[in-house]
Amino acid sequence: MIVAPWVWVSLALALLASAGFGAPPADMKLQAYLLWGTNDRNPPADRNYQPVNPDIRQKLKSLPLKWAHWYEVKRVDFQVAPGASREVTLSDKCQVKLRQLASAEVEVLLIGQGKEVMKRRQALPKGDLLVLGGNSPNATAWLVVLKRNE
Amino acid sequence: MDLAAQLKLQAWLDGELPEAEARAVADWVAREPEASALAEELRQTRRALAGFEADLRLPESREFFWSKIEREIARRAAPAPASAPRGAAILAGLRRFLIPATAAALLVLAGAVLIRPGGAPTRGGGAEVEMALADAGAFTYCDYSAGTTLVWFSYPADN
Amino acid sequence: MTVKDYSSAEERALVRMAQQGDLAAFEELVARHRDKIYARAYSMMRHEQEALDLAQEAWVKGWQRLGQFQGDAGFGTWLTRIVINLCLDALRRQKRQRVESLEALAEESGGVERQMPVVAPNPTAGLERAELRQRIDQALGQLSHEHRTVLILNEFEEMDYKEIARTMGCSIGTVMSRLFYARRKLAALLTDLKKPDTT
Repeated sequence: MIVAPWVWVSLALALLASAGFGAPPADMKLQAYLLWGTNDRNPPADRNYQPVNPDIRQKLKSLPLKWAHWYEVKRVDFQVAPGASREVTLSDKCQVKLRQLASAEVEVLLIGQGKEVMKRRQALPKGDLLVLGGNSPNATAWLVVLKRNE
Repeated sequence: MDLAAQLKLQAWLDGELPEAEARAVADWVAREPEASALAEELRQTRRALAGFEADLRLPESREFFWSKIEREIARRAAPAPASAPRGAAILAGLRRFLIPATAAALLVLAGAVLIRPGGAPTRGGGAEVEMALADAGAFTYCDYSAGTTLVWFSYPADN
Repeated sequence: MTVKDYSSAEERALVRMAQQGDLAAFEELVARHRDKIYARAYSMMRHEQEALDLAQEAWVKGWQRLGQFQGDAGFGTWLTRIVINLCLDALRRQKRQRVESLEALAEESGGVERQMPVVAPNPTAGLERAELRQRIDQALGQLSHEHRTVLILNEFEEMDYKEIARTMGCSIGTVMSRLFYARRKLAALLTDLKKPDTT
């Protein structure tokens, strides 16, 4: 099949436009969640935990985690300017520091009980999740979820 | 000492010889210093190996290792996807056009992204850098199709 | 049944429950034997990620074949045989993809082990457990996979010559000569590794 040259040119131009060629870096809008995972159907009666929202729950299902129920302990919406960093406190013992790098990547520092536990640098496209987690007492788990919205 | 004699000596140490033959080899080893030295070396090697595997530990947590197994069991138990619909034939025809067109467009796009200052954020582009500062047992799982990265810590937490 | 009940249950009971489709019982079996299965895979493959993948595959296959487990041997032994067979398949695939070293060819055909001087005194005497483990690990890594496998099956799996021959698909004579070479080479390597100037 012979395709007219204008078809290729239009297609390439359309793709270039959608890639945001030359657009300056903008503030990143993110959400940080502290989640608690359990296989019990109900959250602890003495805590006001809310079930995690459906889109996060769906993404967590794709991970090799054995816990069936995830509850939101805390959620923080925040924004980071290019080159700047922002520290978010999720509990007395857990903070996350996020820096937007010039290359549109993020640098994430997890602080647990006052200690720097992990520093990670990676691309975080819109809609992607970075999930940090570990075991908690009584066969439960904790997660820190970072989601980029814009 | 020829190879046959050496292998017989080894078979004796491994308890592979019938009783009468084993007695004969034992006498020979007691008489011959060369055979005795070889027997001692083989015994030393066996002793050195004892308990070697007992120190090896699976480098993943119980929960994480199991969750991978559980997922794989579920995946293999899932029914096979339904056969392609009739419309697939039409799509196949279209594909003959779409594949070269998309490939050409992607080439142009890749060139543009490469010259763009800072480049585009991509998943799994090899740009990930991780430092486990207080937890050498941490490990990472990436599901690029779902756009999710998991870093799992052996770090204890009580929220 | 609660998690606590599973952790205190007898292995035979867990196997019965797992055979009836109880995944939680199977998870407890995995927890009890996962280190051993991984250790066997690692000894054979000498590669952490491959060992992890093969250990995982062994458990999945174990679940799929639970109906075939009769209880003649222990559950751990049965699962170990599954991981050994998976490792042997993987090693055969790898072998097809690589050119054998000249040394390995010589080992099979030339009987070089006969000329090795006997090692004395014991090269591992007086070593701390961790150091001994590290040296053996290094030495095992320098054996060809055929020699390492025959050693593992005999020393760790306690298989007799006949069973090793059946498992590896070779003659008893080959098992004997491979085992002899592997032991002698290991003794020589442990001696070399003991020398302070060894790099």
